[in-house]
Amino acid sequence: MERRDFLKVSVLTGATAALSGCEKPAHTLVRFIPEEDLIPSVATWKPSVCTLCPAGCGLMVRVLPGEAEVVRNGKLGTIQMGLAKKLEGNPNHPVNWGKLCARGQAGLQITYHPDRVRSPLKRSGPRGSGSFQPVTWEESIREVVSKLQELQSQNQSESLRFVSACLRGQRHELVRKFLSAFGAPAAMVFDPLDEPVLRQANLLSFGQADMPSFDLAHTGYVISFGADFLGTWNSPVAQSIAYGEMRQGRPGNRAKFVQVEQRMSQTGANADEWIAPRAGTEGAMALGLAHVILKEKLRPAADNKATRLIAGWSQGLAEYSPEQVERKTGVPAQRIQRLAHEMAAHLPAVAIIGGLPLAHTNGLFNALAVNALNTLLGSVGMPGGLFFTPQPPSENAGSWSSESDFASVLLAGKLDGTKVLLLHNANPVFATPAVWKVRETLDRIPFIVSFGSFVDETSQLADLILPDHSPLESWLHDVPKSGTNQAVVSLAAPAMLPLHDTRAMPDTLLEIAHQIGGEAAKALPWENFQEMLQASMAPLRTADGINPPPDPEKFWSKVQEQGGWWSDKVRQAARSAIPQKQLVTEFAPPQFDGEESSFPFHFQPYVSQAVLDGSLAHLPWMQEMPDALSTVMWGTWVEINPKTAQKLAIEQDDLVEVRSQHGKLLAPLLVSPGIAFDVVAMPMGQGHESFGRYASGRGANPMTILAPMQVAETGSLAWASTRVQVSKVGKAKLALFSGGLFERPSELQQR
Amino acid sequence: MRSRIRGLSLIFVGLAAVSSFFLWPTSSANSVKRRGIDSQDVFTPAHPTILDSLREFIGWRETPVQPLAFTHRKHIENQIACTACHKGVNQGPSAGIPDINVCMRCHTFFAKDRPEIKKLAGIFDSGQDITWQRVYGFSPSAHVKFNHAPHIHASVDCSVCHGDVKSMTVAVRAVNLNMGFCLSCHRAKQVSTDCVTCHF
Repeated sequence: MERRDFLKVSVLTGATAALSGCEKPAHTLVRFIPEEDLIPSVATWKPSVCTLCPAGCGLMVRVLPGEAEVVRNGKLGTIQMGLAKKLEGNPNHPVNWGKLCARGQAGLQITYHPDRVRSPLKRSGPRGSGSFQPVTWEESIREVVSKLQELQSQNQSESLRFVSACLRGQRHELVRKFLSAFGAPAAMVFDPLDEPVLRQANLLSFGQADMPSFDLAHTGYVISFGADFLGTWNSPVAQSIAYGEMRQGRPGNRAKFVQVEQRMSQTGANADEWIAPRAGTEGAMALGLAHVILKEKLRPAADNKATRLIAGWSQGLAEYSPEQVERKTGVPAQRIQRLAHEMAAHLPAVAIIGGLPLAHTNGLFNALAVNALNTLLGSVGMPGGLFFTPQPPSENAGSWSSESDFASVLLAGKLDGTKVLLLHNANPVFATPAVWKVRETLDRIPFIVSFGSFVDETSQLADLILPDHSPLESWLHDVPKSGTNQAVVSLAAPAMLPLHDTRAMPDTLLEIAHQIGGEAAKALPWENFQEMLQASMAPLRTADGINPPPDPEKFWSKVQEQGGWWSDKVRQAARSAIPQKQLVTEFAPPQFDGEESSFPFHFQPYVSQAVLDGSLAHLPWMQEMPDALSTVMWGTWVEINPKTAQKLAIEQDDLVEVRSQHGKLLAPLLVSPGIAFDVVAMPMGQGHESFGRYASGRGANPMTILAPMQVAETGSLAWASTRVQVSKVGKAKLALFSGGLFERPSELQQR
Repeated sequence: MRSRIRGLSLIFVGLAAVSSFFLWPTSSANSVKRRGIDSQDVFTPAHPTILDSLREFIGWRETPVQPLAFTHRKHIENQIACTACHKGVNQGPSAGIPDINVCMRCHTFFAKDRPEIKKLAGIFDSGQDITWQRVYGFSPSAHVKFNHAPHIHASVDCSVCHGDVKSMTVAVRAVNLNMGFCLSCHRAKQVSTDCVTCHF
């Protein structure tokens, strides 16, 4: 070719080559107009409330303006908005005093979770298929309203049912008013973290159907029967703070802590003495201690409501001598003697009961026995002992007793007439024994609406999903029932604007009530939940006796600023005890499902410190968090004693089948010295079929294989009463953070 | 003659090879695309091409193309202070680019007939914010966190770093903000020159 052409070509090629690197794709995402006044890069801390467990701790949320990717009017784009970045405890909150547990920290992931339901959804395929399509709020609310109006016109208001976890505060009020005005039965509670057996025992023994609180900071001796009070039980952060003060707050006095359980929990690992009686005999052991105290007159004899519930108490508990208790429980008589003397010599002493001991068929007896022991020790209502959290005057006393238990309603066949079911914060399809057939029962209900933020096993059956905001995007109101000696109302404005096209459940319910009209609209006159909350705070303005009382507007601002209202000047309101039939209990040995010969092991599922009852399994931080004792992450395991494993010729990382009379499951084996020889334990919460990308198809769910046994005199599921057999079916691999419970693998072989 | 052509073609091939070397996407090319925050991609300070790394090394940044022909000069002539729009400059690290609400506070009433203001109103009515392109900033690999507030409190005038904004239409980098520039002032005013003051 000619030189000129050659040069032209090379210049052009070279120039194009150089220029092509200059092109940068412009940021083509749409930018939406910010909806709030923001100062860039400056963070503020806003109060909020943790809603992940019944404790009800106060939060502080760090909010920083930033860019979020959102959909507005069907268009994907970015928007500058205040974004919650970090959660900490509220330093002034009387439950947690600025501390926060790992689960509370992980609550941040709910807001930004990729699997959140971002708009109302309508079922578009067969029920349970998981096919949904987005619809508008107008359409979906109209559909719910028309279904409810249909019920009313056919005089079938009682076939509307509402099921949720335990609700408290104004959210509870709102639901109660709505259902009552509509003519529907009271809400059903499904909450694996609730302790209805203990609350019933407390009602019988002390006249208060509430969870107890414990003044551990000033106690001299604490004996806990199965309660994981430093891990997951009741109000763990408050209890942990008090425990710290018990151990280190009084120089020279560490008190003594005894834990009684068959499987060493996170709490039990802190104990000075760890005792494993036979499963279900905790109540007998407590009465054995009481017998020694009575017989040797270590304390003045107690004769009160709590003690009169125990047969034989006034005769000195003749059937609970140390030798007889040794036969019942397996705990040596001498140990019982020694413990009783220790307790009486280190007053104030307090006994706690919770978790597995209450999940046996004789769970109520176990609780009543411990309550009686506490009265004998003189710990009820005294420093260093057991007490009940005062309730603020704005709250309806006895709010717990109006609900019915979901399981009782289901098992009595009373769900069969239901035409419309409203679901909120409850996953009964997941956390119940398969033999109860919850999925099949719910499937027969013609219309199911869920307010959930995620599609879990239960909301997968819904016909409509009306997604709630995440807690940080909501007005929150809560009244803690335990963990503090002050009357507390936690209240918080949303820490950030909603990311997605969701609506607060209370606001949705108010909208539905207004559109239905009639009684429902009259009972709920507020425009939105914020208005209702502001009205509810009015009686508290004068409650702590400050004279003159603060101006209403100033009061409302101050309450929001501090994250709630609390006062130690409120005397506990006397509760009206619901008259109970005269009940006198005696020791009945726990009943188990399955013959010992074929099913040699007691099966003990327990509330997981990472994912609780499974409601937090979708949070990757909690999946990633190693279990405190075993360091297992991202999965389930079956715990067994090393000697038992040896006898069965199975070892760690084996895939085992755990089989009861009602089902079977597969899980990797973890060998642990901290468990009784005849017990096999599993954490709850994994084994989801549907709960987002981090939880689905992971691990196994121990609830599915449970036997349908009930705690006598209550309707509750006795989830500790199942016997199982264990056999190896293959190999698995546990994801251990640090090698597990043995320092060196060779130790595992030696045991 | 032939040898000349051969020589030139060798040079040409050499040039082509060198330029394609520079333009060859690096292994991180796919991950350094501007994606949403929901993206699963891992953040990396690596560059899409070697030419990009070279540009950063010599401190070359292209002038961004702004969606609207905003003129600073006009606004300053109308006695609008810097902090009226760039709020936050004395409170925190970032001066901030105002959102469209700030513009509309005045431009709902003023200069409504100008073509650029009509464009502005059009963007506002469609519910969108203006996609201003960033002018100032440091490359991520410099690990610099500049904080405006202490500089404002020390009475450093905006023009010291941002140039004679009074005469600018669109904002441009009139001052070469390299580390030497920062250090010379820090030394003159006897303020901390410890590494961790800015690099953390």
